[in-house]
Amino acid sequence: MGELADLQHWMARVLRTRRALAKDEHITREATERLTGNDRLRPVEQAEIYREQFWLRHTSALLEDYPGLSGVIGQGDWERLVEEYLTSHAPDSWTLRDLGNRMTEHVESCAWLPHRQLCIDMARLEWSYTELFDARDAPPLDPNKLGSIPEAAWETALIVLNPALRLLRTEYPVAELRRRLREGEASALIPDAQSQNLVLFRSRKRSLHYDVVGDGAFALLEALRDGLPLVPACERAVERAPSEAKAVEVGVGQWFQEWGRLGWIVDVDVK
Amino acid sequence: MTEARLGCPDLGVGVGLRVPHYRHILDHRPAVDFFEIISENFMVDGGKPIYHLERVLETYRVIQHGVSLGIGGPEEPDTAYLERLKRLVDKVQPAWLSDHFCWCSADGVNLHDLLPLPYTEEAIEIVVERAKKIQDFLGVRFALENTSTYLNYTSSEMPEWEFIGRIAEQADIGLMFDVNNIYVSAYNHGFDPLEFVRNVPHERIVQIHLAGHMNVGTHIIDTHSGHVIDPVYDIYRETIAQAGAVPTLIEWDDDIPEFSLLVAEAEKARDIRSDALELKARRAAGKASATPDWPWARAIEERGPADAQLEGETHAGTVQGGWKQGGPRESESTAAE
Ligand SMILES: [Fe+2]
Repeated sequence: MGELADLQHWMARVLRTRRALAKDEHITREATERLTGNDRLRPVEQAEIYREQFWLRHTSALLEDYPGLSGVIGQGDWERLVEEYLTSHAPDSWTLRDLGNRMTEHVESCAWLPHRQLCIDMARLEWSYTELFDARDAPPLDPNKLGSIPEAAWETALIVLNPALRLLRTEYPVAELRRRLREGEASALIPDAQSQNLVLFRSRKRSLHYDVVGDGAFALLEALRDGLPLVPACERAVERAPSEAKAVEVGVGQWFQEWGRLGWIVDVDVK
Repeated sequence: MTEARLGCPDLGVGVGLRVPHYRHILDHRPAVDFFEIISENFMVDGGKPIYHLERVLETYRVIQHGVSLGIGGPEEPDTAYLERLKRLVDKVQPAWLSDHFCWCSADGVNLHDLLPLPYTEEAIEIVVERAKKIQDFLGVRFALENTSTYLNYTSSEMPEWEFIGRIAEQADIGLMFDVNNIYVSAYNHGFDPLEFVRNVPHERIVQIHLAGHMNVGTHIIDTHSGHVIDPVYDIYRETIAQAGAVPTLIEWDDDIPEFSLLVAEAEKARDIRSDALELKARRAAGKASATPDWPWARAIEERGPADAQLEGETHAGTVQGGWKQGGPRESESTAAE
């Protein structure tokens, strides 16, 4: 290893230290070998400036991406959560946008966390929002194209969903809770468990929204997302939500109109 | 427009494109010489960042400035990163593109900071080789910026100005000359800023950055907040008087003001730039002294007073949220309408 790389490996380790560097005698000694210090700052204090910034920068980036999660658990638990997260999941992407990409699995592993299932749902929701925010754009559905598809072709047609759409089944109504927390309801109560089918999507004006749909519609959307053609998709939806068999049968035409209007469906691919 | 520097045109005095100003810029399309974008904020697939960038490109000249290349790191620059950067270059078609003399990651850990390099022969060799390749790959004039630093390595073998000048010449790249960073580092390490300005290859300076900072007494932090202070304008004036009409940009990334205030700072810089070009002409005619008088610079070198009195303003405390590079990234919680 070259001298430069050796120095950088040392720095990468030291700057991620959680406690003030001057409290560590060994690091203080190492710093004296590597850094000059000056008449105002000792070598270890020079390194400390960067160490402090490492934590400030990354904790504030996570707070920006997880306002719901931090709001639910409160400041003390949030600080512990992000400290553990950044320690066990060192930032590994060039963009801070990806910093929170393993938050859900981290929350799952935090046995000490109160309201853990609610927190897991919130983390999944907030990471989905981050992904949707800058997901690929797709041109809207062309209504003329719909009219020109022959009746027989519908059976095998592939319905293409918007790349900026996510389907999320949650055990708690976290989308609503997050909205209330962000509107400043600091004391928004922890809601009772109530499973929900969330459709998260980016509108034509590029802002993020959520909608709650029934089991039949959700199962159909999942089947379409998984690439099933229309007829098998409807069959799978009925299979997964048997109590909504009638709703799927009766609703599908209206749903498609609605989903086209909302921009959830962006294309129909006729083989 | 005056002479092109390394093929880079004089775009005048511009400002950084920042999220809180999007609405104003797109609604009113104010006169601005050019915008500088933080490349990484637009190296995404779609959504608002791309939409806003495309609207800005309809009206304005845009150049790119990056913060994540980490050219001096222990590993080769990330190819996926460079490919994304290239796609953005194809869209923006900037007259030049810059990043920093620094490193950002090691052992697969990205520290998201502009970490200083030791000024050594080894580091020169590594950065030169990579800078050449990157400039070729991107197909646009590449420049590297001197950073604000808060530490000095015992292993450094030369002053910073020699380090950056030699890399620029050997790699045939430009210098993004941040005169606020010169002031910050001069204060933090006690060197003479005039020596810095005099000893870099002036013809390679393709752009200048101006910004505000925060003096915490023991050191100055490059926050990119607040007005540009007079000593920084002194360094700017001198740089222009030596290097000529270099395109200049105001960086303001924390406590971002109303757009009109940012533009007013750019106007101030423009006036100083004009004066400095006149000074250059007077010096050439032997009608002005070639050495500026900077009492504040003597105080920096003599290491006293070791606090903010030097600048007539004190900011206490630390930088909350980390020092900013390019202001907030546009995200779900910071997005413009
Ligand atoms: Fe800069």
